[in-house]
Amino acid sequence: MHLFIQACILGLLAGGVYALMASGLTLAFGVMRVINVAQGAMIVLGAFLSYTLFTKAHIDPFVSVVLLTPLMFLVGVALQLVFIRPLRADEREELSLLVTWALALGIEGLLSVLYKTNYRSTITSYADKSWRVLGYHLSEVRVFAFGMSVVILTLLYLLLTRTEFGRTVRATVQNPVSARLLGVNVDKVSALGFGISVATATAAGAVFGMVTPFFPGSHYDLISRLLSIIVLGGLGSLGGAIIAALFMGMAEAVFAAEISPTWSSFTFFIVLIAILLLRPQGLFGTNERGAL
Amino acid sequence: MQALEGAPAPLLGKSVPATRGQKEGQNVRRLGVLISLGVLLAVSATLAACGGSSSSSSTSGSSGSATSGKPLNIGISLSLSGDFSDPGHAAQKGYQLWAKTVNANGGIDGRKVKLKIVDDASSPNQVVTNYQNLITRDKVDLVFGPFSTLLTGPAASVAHRYGYAFVEPAGGGPAVFQEHLNNVFFVQPAPTLNCGDPFVAYIKSLPPSQRPKTAAYPSLDDPFSSPIADRMQKAFEAMGIKTVYKTIYPSETADLTPVVEKYVAKKPDMVVAGTQSEDAYSQVKAMVQAGFSPKFVFLANGANSPTEFPSKVGAKNTEGIFSCGDWFPTSKAGGNPQFVAAYKAQYGGTPFDIDSTSAEAYAVGQLIQAVAKKTGKVDNKTIISSLHSGTWSSVEGNISWNADGSPQGSDMLLEWVGGKLQPVYPPNVALTKPTSPKPPWGG
Amino acid sequence: MSRLTRTGVLRAVVVFGALAAFPFVFPAQWIVNIAIFTLMYAGLATAWNLLGGFSGYLSLGHAAFFGVGAYAIAIAFTHIGIGGSGYKPFFALPLVGIVVALVSVPIAWVALRVRAATFAIVTLTLLFVVQQLAFNLHHLTHGSQGLALPPPPFDVSTFEQPFYFAMLGVFALAFFTCWWVKGSKLGLMLFSIRDDEDRARGVGVRVTGAKVIAFALSVGFTGMLGGVWAYYIQFIYPQFAVDPLITIGAVLMAFLGGKGTVWGPTVGAFILVPAQQYMAYKLGASELYLLGYASVFLLIMLFLPRGIIPSISDHLARRRSGRPDEPPGAVASAPRATLPGGMAP
Repeated sequence: MHLFIQACILGLLAGGVYALMASGLTLAFGVMRVINVAQGAMIVLGAFLSYTLFTKAHIDPFVSVVLLTPLMFLVGVALQLVFIRPLRADEREELSLLVTWALALGIEGLLSVLYKTNYRSTITSYADKSWRVLGYHLSEVRVFAFGMSVVILTLLYLLLTRTEFGRTVRATVQNPVSARLLGVNVDKVSALGFGISVATATAAGAVFGMVTPFFPGSHYDLISRLLSIIVLGGLGSLGGAIIAALFMGMAEAVFAAEISPTWSSFTFFIVLIAILLLRPQGLFGTNERGAL
Repeated sequence: MQALEGAPAPLLGKSVPATRGQKEGQNVRRLGVLISLGVLLAVSATLAACGGSSSSSSTSGSSGSATSGKPLNIGISLSLSGDFSDPGHAAQKGYQLWAKTVNANGGIDGRKVKLKIVDDASSPNQVVTNYQNLITRDKVDLVFGPFSTLLTGPAASVAHRYGYAFVEPAGGGPAVFQEHLNNVFFVQPAPTLNCGDPFVAYIKSLPPSQRPKTAAYPSLDDPFSSPIADRMQKAFEAMGIKTVYKTIYPSETADLTPVVEKYVAKKPDMVVAGTQSEDAYSQVKAMVQAGFSPKFVFLANGANSPTEFPSKVGAKNTEGIFSCGDWFPTSKAGGNPQFVAAYKAQYGGTPFDIDSTSAEAYAVGQLIQAVAKKTGKVDNKTIISSLHSGTWSSVEGNISWNADGSPQGSDMLLEWVGGKLQPVYPPNVALTKPTSPKPPWGG
Repeated sequence: MSRLTRTGVLRAVVVFGALAAFPFVFPAQWIVNIAIFTLMYAGLATAWNLLGGFSGYLSLGHAAFFGVGAYAIAIAFTHIGIGGSGYKPFFALPLVGIVVALVSVPIAWVALRVRAATFAIVTLTLLFVVQQLAFNLHHLTHGSQGLALPPPPFDVSTFEQPFYFAMLGVFALAFFTCWWVKGSKLGLMLFSIRDDEDRARGVGVRVTGAKVIAFALSVGFTGMLGGVWAYYIQFIYPQFAVDPLITIGAVLMAFLGGKGTVWGPTVGAFILVPAQQYMAYKLGASELYLLGYASVFLLIMLFLPRGIIPSISDHLARRRSGRPDEPPGAVASAPRATLPGGMAP
């Protein structure tokens, strides 16, 4: 029982970071119908950038998030303008998969050139510290990472619900044609939406680098998990993605602790197959667009 | 560098008449298509050409003393890009250092050594293509083994087909020896999976009262990690040491806290972990966090890195941890002091910065040199038959092989003693005595 | 569409005749070796095209079935030890193809319940499932230790030829299946799915059946190619047999040549594979290998999304119709281009 609860705690903390990672992915899909296969690579890129800032300039990864996210937001906007905007609308959904995959390979290639291919990890002074609460370990880094994810997701939520920009995003998600008729600049929303998606990936990457050793090829494993999460949550549904992420994080950790660590990544696939059989639109997806 | 200027020209040239053809067609779309194709080809050419500099420079052009006859061409495919590129570069250093040293001393049999090193991008298809090309197109005199291990098998069978000796530094897994290829020689003291044997022998040498009673075996799912622990587990069980915990965790497992918690609960006297690198650090850190210090800790890999291990787990937490190694910087094995000195002169750093892969690659060259010295010949037939008889000396120690190319010796047991990594067992290679039980964490 | 025109048949006879004669005209082993990988990718791209190009369902997970085929051959001839090797693994190939196709039917049925975007995700995930299985099912696959097939007992001077002809055979099979499908009722069904699946379903096309058949055929060929590859390479490890780059390579070639066409994937493979294999050897692949791969890919997607063959045939059609400045494609695509971005009409 002790191990079970310990696993749940670990899984919940990991799930919070998954939620942050998946939020951008599902947002980009909602706004543009683009599945950004490069999301995993962006996370790894974020991890490397914060690693560099930490080792070279001694900037704590939680601080570097504040510096990196605006920067990577701009990079995201640029990537959208250069690589996704030019795709013809009727082929965009199809081609964007391949284009973003190519982007993922490109980022992996770039990182291999710059950093070589061995594992790195961002080791801060509090990396090994943990609190003991009622006999359970609470790793400080993981708790901070979870906290940061909650803060960013809350900001994202406020941005989407309380601002004019957020309304245009939600309108676009629900129906781009009507949104355009109502005067929403869909192109602009798409570019900004992609920028936000990349920014969340960067933030998630900074904490990912503290809890997990990573190398340029780490993105394959990440993206397959994240894609399972957003399918489970319902493509385009932010709330769905968050709940799915927390659930998957815990399911994986419990599976690893109670059954076998070797097979724990299968929890993702088992859940994915079950969803496809029972509810192909995902837990919170609808058959129509727009459940953000 | 010639390639850099040469290669793109013909490919770009192709696109020129095509662009000109656009005038008659008056078709803008077609122009776009052709330009992009041209760009595409140019990019692939530039891409390939960029690599040109690295491969052309890799041909060892050292100014040897007077050499006669045609050069001895040796072909090697290494993973200079892709997932295995870091050890690939380490192997390249070892090979080049050997070639330089040999040429400075007049070459082999008066023939200057010329290395042709090509890149396989860590891909098995490319490694097959590369050895095919080296042997049947460029007709090199000899081939040396690639890095990584996983690419050694496919490469060895190509070499076998053409009767080339395949002296290789990295492919020590069972799959390679299963093929029963008579041309393969793995240049390390022992097959990779036997790396725990010296530790088993050491435990056996202890009086029964000092031996551990219980053991845990947490291992990484990797060809060269979990099988090591499996082999040790069998030996320890035969000695009556009870297995209280065993698990295999996947390579993506970053945080081993849950695994460590599980075995901490069983309080084993000994932890034998088939580890690679990050997972070894993670296990140590989790044990420190849990305040659990078993009497014996053996980590197959990770703990044998003289500089990285203390930096990752804290120098004071290393004391008494065992690991294994095939080569050690201060070893006195055949030509090792000279190798270390030459390495320092060429690449700088301290002896402890030398990757053992460089030593392994260097040893491959040493063996060829030794065969040439003994027989006066450097053809593949002679190399194969010579290496199959007797024991041969190199920086990796004295090695002999069975018919499948599996080395018959033993690796060494390393231990952190007094803040330093030292070979401690077997006694003939030990620089100091092993100590046990392990002190508590933090010294 | 591609009825058996005289020029079409002639073209196929000439190309496949030349391919059959190739290893006798150029017997040097290193050339045949590169040709083997070229044919393998031509087959993979053609097989992928059967589903991805015709129906618009982009599979990112074909490497999973390549791996299944590779492991099927490797396990049969090492573990189970079906007496010796020789030519036997080649004779087992049709069986491998059929088994892989049958295994894929339930998978296809589940995966094809969802729309194209989700399908891509599911296939990508499938790839990692199969790779993980190859790692975890130790008793069958030896996990990360890998499997070693017995060395083929062929004479060294013509060692590559059996593999060459096996690759050629599977490629030809895939090619002619593609050709046949394109002109058949199945082809029409697939194209109608690509254009508008809901409408196709509405007018009574049995979309699920068509998709599942295309998927099974496609992965069946892929599995057979995996089997030949396994025997040629002799050493099978999970990360190489189930490698995302295999899928990406095939998809890239299909796009370069022209997806949805019969010849496109072949053209793409014949351009890219020899260039890649030879240049990597000749010039060193360099650290920029992946970067270059990605940039070639991006350039094709952005500037040549329809591929070489459609671009050329459009041009020829325009020349023939004598209206060079007003291509038929442009008329159709012009209003689309002005449609608001970010939405699927």
